[in-house]
Formats: sequence, C-alpha cells, structure tokens
Amino acid sequence: MTGPDPDRPAVPGIRPFLREQAPADDRPPPGEQTTSLRPFVLTSGRVAAVDPNIGLETQVSTHPRAWGARLSPEQRAIVQLCAQPLSVAEISAKLRLHFGVTRILVADLRAAGCLEVHVVESEFPDPDTIMRVIRGLRSLS
Amino acid sequence: MAFDPFPENRAAPSDYRAAPTDDRVKTKPPVPVKIIVAGGFGVGKTTTVGAISEISPLTTEAEMTMESVGVDHPNRATTKTTTTIAMDFGCVTIDHTLKLYLFGTPGQSRFSFMWDDLVRGALGALVVVDTSRIDDCYPAVDYFERAGLPFVVGVNTFNGQQGYNLDEVRWALAVRDDVPVLQFDARFRGSVRDALLVVLDQALDKALRMRQT
Repeated sequence: MTGPDPDRPAVPGIRPFLREQAPADDRPPPGEQTTSLRPFVLTSGRVAAVDPNIGLETQVSTHPRAWGARLSPEQRAIVQLCAQPLSVAEISAKLRLHFGVTRILVADLRAAGCLEVHVVESEFPDPDTIMRVIRGLRSLS
Repeated sequence: MAFDPFPENRAAPSDYRAAPTDDRVKTKPPVPVKIIVAGGFGVGKTTTVGAISEISPLTTEAEMTMESVGVDHPNRATTKTTTTIAMDFGCVTIDHTLKLYLFGTPGQSRFSFMWDDLVRGALGALVVVDTSRIDDCYPAVDYFERAGLPFVVGVNTFNGQQGYNLDEVRWALAVRDDVPVLQFDARFRGSVRDALLVVLDQALDKALRMRQT
C-alpha cells in the first residue's frame, strides 16, 4: 500500500465520473442531443456497416448452433425470431431496433455461426426472376 | 419471446434444438426482390405500400447520409450529414421461393439523399407525386436518374382530383421520354398493382439490355 499522493489535491470520495460536471455550454442543447447514435450502444459504438451486401430485404435464418450459444438479449431475440426466415428490415421493425444496429448484430451473429445470412450475389435481378414477379402480381386480384 | 436470464430455468439445449432445426430444413428462404416507393411527405407512400402488402406496413429506422447543397457553408460546395429516417415497408409473397418487398422512403427537398443501401439490388422505383406539391419529388427523381434505376412517376389521385394532366406533370419534372408518367389511386390494390407492373416492365427492359451486353 502506498500513501496518498501529496501533489494531488484531496478529493471527496465520489466515483470519478460523478466528480466533475461537464461545463454546461459544452453539452449540446437538449433538442440537438445525438439521439440517433444512442442505439449503437448495443454494438459497442460501431456504426460502420460490416457487410454492404446485408440489405434491408436480405433473408436471415437461425443456424441450429445458435440454440446453445451464449448471447446478449438482443441477439437472443434475433435468433428466436429467425427460426423462420425473415428479412433484416422485419427483424429491425419487430424488435424496434435501428436498422444500422440490426445489420451489425446480424453480421456478428453470422460471424459467430449462429445465423445464416442468405446474401444474393447478383447486383440486378435476372429477367426470369422479374417475369415471375410480373406473373405473380398479375394474378393478384 | 421472453428471455430467461437464469440458465437453470431453461430447457436443456437438446430439447429445444429439435423443433427449430426441423423447421429450418423445410423452409428455404425465398429470394427477396424490392421496389422502392419514393416521394415527398404525405403524398401517400404508406397508403401505396399498405394497399398491396400482405402484412400491415412495418416501420424501420435507418441512417441516411445527406448532402445539403451549399446552404449553410457557402465556401464548401456540399456538406455531408447523417439523419435518421423512418421507412415504412410491406411485402407480397409471390410464391414460396420469391418475395417482393416494398420500401416507402421519404424525400426531402433541399437535401439529396444517399440511398445507396436502399437502391442496391432494387428492381425499380415508383415515385409518388402529389400535383399540388410537385417539387417534393425532385430529389427522388434526381437520385434515380443518376443511379440508373428504372423508375415510374405515379400521380396519386388520392382525393379524386387531378389538377394537371400527365403531360403537364411530365413537363414540370422534365423526365426522359422513356420514363412512364401515369395516374393511380394509392388506396386501391388493383391500381397500385398496375402501377407496380409498369415499374416491373421497366425493370425487365433493363434486365434484358444488361443480358445483351
């Protein structure tokens, strides 16, 4: 045990982050608080897209390995939701997670082998696929 | 859906592994395709999506990069900022191997959106226009022209009135001659379906051209 540092002024026994209030003018006014970045706490602050091929409509399904894995509540919710294939947009809407956050969590779960992400390789759908969509829509009453 | 934080209360892994695995083997995910429904605030994008979607429209929040054109900083040509926008979407199952998604995205005059994530892999777009606020759709039209995405201008006759004829709308938007300008009613499924079929025709043209080259 070393004694107290004589050069450092004595401070009351408060936890460090409670000691000093940030100067008021440094903080953004309440209306301008960066609320859009708050959801990214769930991704440890990562905001960059991991894989640009994971789009809104990309289909995601749970890999059997996920059912024994140790996951955060959000990841667990994604895994449970995707027992049936679901799009990333639907996951985002149903779990009320920001799309950017969902995409990062999905990419993490894929890297961990818990999710299968069915990335479509081609940039633009081929004529046959489009013809099938046309026929499908025409048959709608 | 509730997650039990206490492992001892959960069933053994082998017990709850069985059901989802069997489901997974049976259900191969459908190939997703998407069409974008764009336009200004309150022109009937969500109504359009809701009219044809088999689920009631869901909402997701997404980050978008915007370029605000030299308004705040005269020295710099553009400034990039990000904003969170709400997107309504729905889907139509074509068959068990193919699913069509419709994404309704807001346009905002004065800003040009970077819709790259949204547009990647999209078949095309339906730009919904309200003739009383026609300039609301300019950013969408500009973007789709630059991105080379097939699009169709759909004038929504939401209130049963049509202030301008389609030639006047085409003139005001200054779109190329091969861009269809049509009239539809966002409230009716058949009308929305017909508008989407025109988008798909444009997409088919593009796909056939791409195959030739």
